[in-house]
Amino acid sequence: MSIAVALLRRLIGTALTLLVTSFLVFSSLYLAPGDPVSFLVRGRSPNPAELAAIRSQFGFDQPFLLRYWHWLEAVLHGDFGRSYLFHQSVAAVIGARLPASLLLVAVATALIAVVGIGAGALGALRRGSRTDGAVLLLVTVGAAVPSFAAAIVLRSVFGVRLGWFPTIGNGTGLGDRLHHVLLPAVALSVTFMALVTRVTRSSMIDQLGREHVEVALSRGTPKLAVLRRHVLRNALGPIVTVSGLLVSGMLVSTAIVETAFGMSGIGSLLVQCVDQLDFQVVQALVLLVVAAFVLVNTAVDLLYPLIDPRVGRGEAR
Amino acid sequence: MTRPRRAALAALAGVFALTSCSGSAKPGDSVAAYQLTDRTPPGPGALDSFTWSLFAEPVSIDYALSFDYPPNTVLANVCESLLRWNPDLTTSPGLASSYTNPTPTTWVYTIRSGVHFHDGAPLTAEDVVASLRRNLDPAVGSDWAYPFRNVKSVDRTGPMQVTVTLNTPDATFNEYLAAAPGTVESAAALKAAGKDYGNPGKGVDCTGPFAFDSWTPGQSIVLKRFDDYWDPALRAKAKQVKFVFLPDETARVNAFESGEVDGGWMVPADSYQRLSASTKGKLYYGRNTTVADEVVSNLQGPLGDPRVRQALLMAIDRKGIVKAGVGGVGEVADSLVTRNTWADSPKETVDPLLKSLVQYPYDPAKARQLAASAGVDGQKVVIAGSPLDSQTTIITQAVQQAATAIGLKPEIQTIPPDKYTALFTDPAARKGIDLFETFWYTSITDPLDMYGSLQTGAFSNYGNWSNPQFDAALGQAVGAADPAARAAATAEAQRIAMDQLPWLPLYNDPVSVFLGNRISGVRPSIDYLYYPWAAEIGAKG
Repeated sequence: MSIAVALLRRLIGTALTLLVTSFLVFSSLYLAPGDPVSFLVRGRSPNPAELAAIRSQFGFDQPFLLRYWHWLEAVLHGDFGRSYLFHQSVAAVIGARLPASLLLVAVATALIAVVGIGAGALGALRRGSRTDGAVLLLVTVGAAVPSFAAAIVLRSVFGVRLGWFPTIGNGTGLGDRLHHVLLPAVALSVTFMALVTRVTRSSMIDQLGREHVEVALSRGTPKLAVLRRHVLRNALGPIVTVSGLLVSGMLVSTAIVETAFGMSGIGSLLVQCVDQLDFQVVQALVLLVVAAFVLVNTAVDLLYPLIDPRVGRGEAR
Repeated sequence: MTRPRRAALAALAGVFALTSCSGSAKPGDSVAAYQLTDRTPPGPGALDSFTWSLFAEPVSIDYALSFDYPPNTVLANVCESLLRWNPDLTTSPGLASSYTNPTPTTWVYTIRSGVHFHDGAPLTAEDVVASLRRNLDPAVGSDWAYPFRNVKSVDRTGPMQVTVTLNTPDATFNEYLAAAPGTVESAAALKAAGKDYGNPGKGVDCTGPFAFDSWTPGQSIVLKRFDDYWDPALRAKAKQVKFVFLPDETARVNAFESGEVDGGWMVPADSYQRLSASTKGKLYYGRNTTVADEVVSNLQGPLGDPRVRQALLMAIDRKGIVKAGVGGVGEVADSLVTRNTWADSPKETVDPLLKSLVQYPYDPAKARQLAASAGVDGQKVVIAGSPLDSQTTIITQAVQQAATAIGLKPEIQTIPPDKYTALFTDPAARKGIDLFETFWYTSITDPLDMYGSLQTGAFSNYGNWSNPQFDAALGQAVGAADPAARAAATAEAQRIAMDQLPWLPLYNDPVSVFLGNRISGVRPSIDYLYYPWAAEIGAKG
């Protein structure tokens, strides 16, 4: 099987996944209890004619499958509709909040990669030492800290008490944005960092104990080369898989951290729109997150052949 | 028109508020004494800019869709109404320099001359007509359609004169023109913006002391001083105001304490103590028209019997709620409106009435007997609760205890904050819920604003309560031109409501506002929703 065919199959699979998801999302929202029209008529008693006008304005009076078809058609043209909550196009609503979430996830990802893999590797190489003990302790504590608790502690210590970091807002300009996003990113990634550290540590220990590594070392191959060529490369598979899942999952788990730091991103937007039945925005957001999930995991799959050439040659991995 | 207090947007807001270890403020500690402030110390100095917190981002600043604290807090400084609602809760001329009521169903407004919109165009009768008519247009879907329910037509009757014709006499219509329903926007701006009017891209173009500058979705709205403002008394002292959206209560309080935000209305009650001891600023309280109520949303169940409602109110430890929920900053409510809403009514009618109100002192034993006589022992009632803030949680618990005390079987249904709003708009969301709480304020100085919402068939008559005598008294009050006759009829409606208790009044609390050390000059009052309060804020002298 050539790589081109594999890629094509992946792409078709991705498209199908998105299509099925879009249908599930669309239908589940309409099954949810509550009537979006009730939000549109806040505080007044509309007469039946007014109600009918509102329903037709938003297309609520059409049959379900027709509504789905119209929506899908528009989405394929890049039109996600109009948010009735924000009186704007969905693209404008999401577009205004996406950059903050992407930066948050990007910084959190960098933290996970550097700290997680670094600490894991350190623990594995110094297995049994005091350093390893410290790593293990931190992993246990980190994994047990939910991001909202981390947010509260970080905010009150480094924001309010020490005044080193701003406690609210997104900031302007790259430097200021990074300054604003660092605490939230730490809060968001604490659990994930611990997870990646643990996976890295055990995966590397596993590799270190392999026969070929011991042989290589006993033959006097430089330790660093062995680590790079054999240990790290072989250990990377599980690390990358876990990281890929975590990163794509993070997009939706930003809500809590965003709220705690008065940041505005798609996580808090999703919560708000779900609760207020702003269907158009929720549909677009869910599609976006699913797409991100599928794409990250596709990227991870495509990375495998680079990490482990045997996968590319079609050998068992 | 009145509305529920919407609170923090995030589902976890309450959790943060309850779990964070924020200094010494614990629910239950009470602030020894509190006093109302008419005006914070003068802030005479020039100020480049100050930052103000909102507990949520407005979804729009279209005045017709501004039916909640956040949009109105902003809009009050940008857009003006025909009349003005002052900090002492009186009403005075605004963009209408005068008005007359030649027949019971006609109101004639003379438009003030020399007023300019932020784009420089002069204010005319056309702008007033275009602005008011939006409240009648189903395609706009104005949240303020209710005050306009008796309006037949809005017409230009002169270059600077507008006449509103009513189908039936309604004095409250004129009063509402001091709030958002009386907002005047440039007709040209309305036309140019179309469907996008009032959203972050288009903003608004009005006549207030501040003009809309920019809106960064999810983060902030910036207003800039309007140098061509007509009223010298309310010319803005600050060049710029920046509103930031901070749904999380703790984040808001932290921002006050770190100085990142200069102030904000509606300070979380469980931080009263912490902020009154703060060195970063001062906490003030002001006039309010808000009453915390427990709405009876189902009269088909055990609460259908008025005796059970009376028993429940008697069994609720309202003093305890005030102490634990708002740190003692409030008092037990004796009706569904505060005394402030009677301010415009003749004293000789109001004084005896307020003295003769039926009281429901805390007496669980008597309450239990009363409920037993209705034979509802062991029946289930569902109380909706929400993790909005600590006072909401405390009220829910107190009502649950009271229900148990009178022999009912209470069940608490916890609803996330954004969904909680649906209880006020969606009958389907209220299904299966017997009781839910609200913080209900009036937008005009008139108890009819509250009692009108309990009329048979009214949108906010959530339990579908119906009482012919009450409706008759209300009809008489709305139609009465004479203030004394109106007050007397309103008082009769209030008497019936307090006897039958379609809603249970819990407590009144003052408006709260925190001001950082840099700024001063504001007049704390619920009128901040419609009065350009930010214009009076300047640098501390």
